[in-house]
Amino acid sequence: MTDQKIEAPPVTPDTAPPRRVRGDDSHARNFSAGFVVKLVLVGLVDALGVYGILTALAVQSWAIVAFLVLALVVVNWVYFSRRAVPGKYLVPGLLFLLVYQLFVMAYTGYVAFTNYGDGHNSDKADAIEAISIQNETRVEGSPTLPLTVLNQDGELGFAIVQDGDVQVGSAEEPFAPADDATVEGGKVTAVPGWEVLGFAQIAQQQDAITTLRVPFSDDPSEGSVRTQDGSTGYVYESTLEYDAATDTFTDAATGETYTPADSGNFVSEDGDVLTPGWRVGVGFDNFTKVFTDSRLAGPFAQITVWTFAFAFLSVLTTFALGLFLAIVFNDNRIRGRKIYRSLLILPYAVPGFLSALVWRGMLNARFGFINEVLLGGADINWLGNPWLAKLSILGVNLWLGFPYMFLVCTGALQSIPADTIEAARIDGAGTWRVFRAMTLPLLMISVAPLLIASFAFNFNNFTLIYMLTGGGPNFVGTPVVVGHTDILISMVYAVAFESGNKQYGLASALSILIFLIVGLISFFSFRRTRTLEEI
Amino acid sequence: MRRSIPVVAAMVGLALTLTACSGSDDSGDDASAAPSESAAATGTLTMWVDDTRIDEMKPVVAAFSEESGVQVDLVQKPTGDIGKDFVAQVPTGEGPDVIVSAHDGLGEWVKNGVVAPVELGDKAGDFSESALAGVTYDGKTYGTPISIENIALVRNNALVAETKATTFDELIAEGKAAGKPFSVLIQQGEASDPYHLYPLQTSFGAPVFEQNADGSYTDTLALGGPAGEAFATYLAKLGADKVLDLAVSGDQAKQAFLDGNAPYMITGPWNTSAFEEAGMDISVLPVPSAGGQPAQPFVGVQGVFVSSKSKNPVLANELVVNYLSTEAAQDMLYQEGGRMPANAASAAKVDNPILKGFGEAGATGAPMPAIPAMSSVWAFWGATEAQIISGQAEPVSAWNTMVAQIQEAVDKV
Amino acid sequence: MARTELETPALRGRRWWAEVGWRHVVGWVMILICVLPLVYVFSASLNPGGTLTGSNKLFRTFDLQNYSELFAEGYQDWFVNSIIICTVAALGTVLMGAAAAYAFSRFRFQGRHGGLTALLIVQMFPQMLAFVAIFLILLSIGDVFPALGLNSRLGLTAVYLGGALGVNTFLMYGFFNTVPRELDEAAKIDGASHAQIFWKIILRLVAPILAVVGLLSFIGTWSEFLVAKVVLQRQEEFTLAVGLYYWGSDERNAQWGLFAAGAVLAAIPVVVLFLFLQKWIVSGLTAGSVKG
Repeated sequence: MTDQKIEAPPVTPDTAPPRRVRGDDSHARNFSAGFVVKLVLVGLVDALGVYGILTALAVQSWAIVAFLVLALVVVNWVYFSRRAVPGKYLVPGLLFLLVYQLFVMAYTGYVAFTNYGDGHNSDKADAIEAISIQNETRVEGSPTLPLTVLNQDGELGFAIVQDGDVQVGSAEEPFAPADDATVEGGKVTAVPGWEVLGFAQIAQQQDAITTLRVPFSDDPSEGSVRTQDGSTGYVYESTLEYDAATDTFTDAATGETYTPADSGNFVSEDGDVLTPGWRVGVGFDNFTKVFTDSRLAGPFAQITVWTFAFAFLSVLTTFALGLFLAIVFNDNRIRGRKIYRSLLILPYAVPGFLSALVWRGMLNARFGFINEVLLGGADINWLGNPWLAKLSILGVNLWLGFPYMFLVCTGALQSIPADTIEAARIDGAGTWRVFRAMTLPLLMISVAPLLIASFAFNFNNFTLIYMLTGGGPNFVGTPVVVGHTDILISMVYAVAFESGNKQYGLASALSILIFLIVGLISFFSFRRTRTLEEI
Repeated sequence: MRRSIPVVAAMVGLALTLTACSGSDDSGDDASAAPSESAAATGTLTMWVDDTRIDEMKPVVAAFSEESGVQVDLVQKPTGDIGKDFVAQVPTGEGPDVIVSAHDGLGEWVKNGVVAPVELGDKAGDFSESALAGVTYDGKTYGTPISIENIALVRNNALVAETKATTFDELIAEGKAAGKPFSVLIQQGEASDPYHLYPLQTSFGAPVFEQNADGSYTDTLALGGPAGEAFATYLAKLGADKVLDLAVSGDQAKQAFLDGNAPYMITGPWNTSAFEEAGMDISVLPVPSAGGQPAQPFVGVQGVFVSSKSKNPVLANELVVNYLSTEAAQDMLYQEGGRMPANAASAAKVDNPILKGFGEAGATGAPMPAIPAMSSVWAFWGATEAQIISGQAEPVSAWNTMVAQIQEAVDKV
Repeated sequence: MARTELETPALRGRRWWAEVGWRHVVGWVMILICVLPLVYVFSASLNPGGTLTGSNKLFRTFDLQNYSELFAEGYQDWFVNSIIICTVAALGTVLMGAAAAYAFSRFRFQGRHGGLTALLIVQMFPQMLAFVAIFLILLSIGDVFPALGLNSRLGLTAVYLGGALGVNTFLMYGFFNTVPRELDEAAKIDGASHAQIFWKIILRLVAPILAVVGLLSFIGTWSEFLVAKVVLQRQEEFTLAVGLYYWGSDERNAQWGLFAAGAVLAAIPVVVLFLFLQKWIVSGLTAGSVKG
């Protein structure tokens, strides 16, 4: 309070700022000071950028190299050219936006055209490796073999003890008796001509050791010995053999071959599919599924209507309450209004996750605070009745969301000249008229885009729905578990994820479609606001 | 002061950026496993542990480091994300070498090829059958089981000293005789809770899938038919009698039992520790049968698994197969975490009556199915049970619709 | 402000109720509604081993154990991390957002309309795959700039700055537009450069909205955990929101007592910050000086 009093006078005069600018600093000195700051900052950015380019070259991240080169050129041009004045103010924010937000968009867009999801999680090489290791089976009834890892001029081998006899072999040489080896405590500790590797040495070349297959005998059908821990070996046989030349898997028992198909799986002629598959492009398949998947058709209309109603009413109620409170407390005759205001943002200051859980408890039909305490033991099924559940969702969202609107409106109200309002009042305009004719329109200039954004946010407010009602109460007997309070985005989750088969490709495509809807609505409402036409 | 906002802002910003810079360098080197002085460092394993298991894992892993010289970098992950992140990050090469988690995500991991089979060899015989079944998928073993947990009937000895009931109906009658607001608490919620109702369901002879002799599941649904319909009808009856109430969710059930408002509750070891801390005298018993056959709960298995793209497969197997499977390691895990060890020899030594009670109640139980379609099964299952309990749907037809929907979901995956 | 209060003749009786008194009533009612659910949180925070909403008998125990346990779990580190990350992100957002709003408000250039619309619409893009995308991009950035990669608080801050130009830019843009251009013109005639006008005139006149945007951005990042938990994987690097999320993420083993205690303490800085920023938000001075 005190420093405000002291500070207030110098800023109050209307015309003070321009004059002070000239009075405080000489123009030339200021220009050079500003220029030096600019030079240093751009120099720093350049240094970082060049460092980045060199490192990126070293690790061969071509995309990053390209991006950095382009960014450096743009930054230097913008800041040293006289022409790109708006650019000077936009570039820093745009760079961050480009890297972090547009990448997410691009990635989602890319995924929408692939079959990425469970079973198609990685590339083909990973899939081949996974299929191979999943189909290597220990020969039934084969013994546990104490195993020692050997090395001979860089070639690895295994020594095993079987029935008290030592056998040595390598990738090329099947196991053969080695009678001159030393055995201690049931394990081979020395083999003439071979170096015995200790645990630390094994740790140095783990991949080579775990992928080493030593044929058990001259007969390949007897399988091969491998180890996973460097100290115990087992005899394995591959039930599915991969042939790199033909790019096929062959079932050792039945002889059936599996060839790679466009779906990103190895598929046999009979249509048997091996998992995992790999990620492939599927064109517009994910988008067309929207129209062909019968599960989406069911309650679609009902959910769409509710989604719009929910998003619209959420914005309307939070804005109305937030604005009302902002106006109520925008009066400096109220003692303690700072405290009032600060406490009003409490719902916003507590993790929404926690608040939703508390509200769920408070709305509990039998034990909740609302029924048991507030309504004296009423039996109102707040979350179990379709209409009441919708009402509850809107109510909780109002509680969660009004502080945001309150803050925004409190800030925006400050741009409305108090004396203009005062003048209107003196002219005899009533409170409501002043509000309708002056306050609201002026406020809308800065707030309208936020309302549109808030609509879009609520349109996709998955978290609230998920935590408060989980979409319930559920429809009876629908092919996907969705309920009366589900919105489009939570329905997308139910369809694309809860079937136990996460389909990121499908989910991306569906959410992009939703984005298109919301984006278009926002685009047109945005054009209708006066924001862009102002000034 | 007002004049200087931008300047102050810039200065503070710069200062904070610098602190943030210097602060970010120190990551990673203070992994919970202390460097051992005796053995030479042979490598570092990254191990993901969900946040409920991390504390008990720390000393065990430290002992392993001491013994083998292998450093273990324990990374805590939220229970809800650990499986999803594992699937997403393993293909990038940034995933962990080893993951500790409940077994029910195994099917999804196998389907995505992110987990490597392990060979337990003769050690397989050291584990209980259901623990081993939990880490087995499609006939292959993918990890070492470390602990098991299941639900059972918990009794408040201050309200009922002795349980004579042999059927669930008798139990309810006995519970009502105690004169408290609740007889037998089973937590529900708006979407019911098939997991907590499962002992009742199995007692009607309607397990979710048919099982092979070795405890593994076939993909043939078993929850339909007359047995399932009988269970559905029974559910409707319990709902009408207000024994089951959707308004009783986890929080309400726990609090009601804590407050002495119910003589019985069907729950798991995660709640009994709170009951004991509150000074309650409780006993743990098997759930009496409602439908004539044994009431079998689902058994949850905590396992340790090796990533298929681990760069340290030998070290990982050394830890998972050769170390964590041992009686000594599982004894230590039990002492730190207080859950029933999967190693049979360690389990035999457990003398805590409450844990023993859970162990006996779960002795006949089968592990929760780990097939990827389970999430869909749970959704249909819960939604239908909720509608039956609340009287919204006719039990038999709703149950049959559900069976058809589940069948479709299982076929699809 | 203090002066105006003195000048206003003190209101009494019915007139006071009609003009001021009812506002206090509204304030009390709203505060009651705001605080009520949080009473459960506060009660749970004082009850070790209790439930969050299991009973309406609140404050049956008064035990500070949860609060002392917080500090054994590294809560203070998270607190410091959150303060640093959120402050930097908020300042960055205000500066970059204000700069962009200035450009949109004061310059006429090609793509201005399109740019404004695009900024708004980009924010609506579904963030469903953000957890994979952010992980991937930080993975590649980390190869080049390790300080901006995974497991870096600076890296997370940078991700947050990616959202600096967003809906908040519009709030500032609208506010900037209410500052008469005559002020700029006058300064220009006096020889001020566009940078001087921005830093020395505009930024000062729009202080209320800068404070609001700073606060919004601070709170936004303060409670953000979806991205943070992907980026930060070490307990000592966690932000408050991530740490709390860990306690609440396991339905059966959730430590509600700790969670509640942590949430109660976490709410304090936000409220204090708003209390402090109100000086700038509702100075009551801007309106007078904007008259032009």
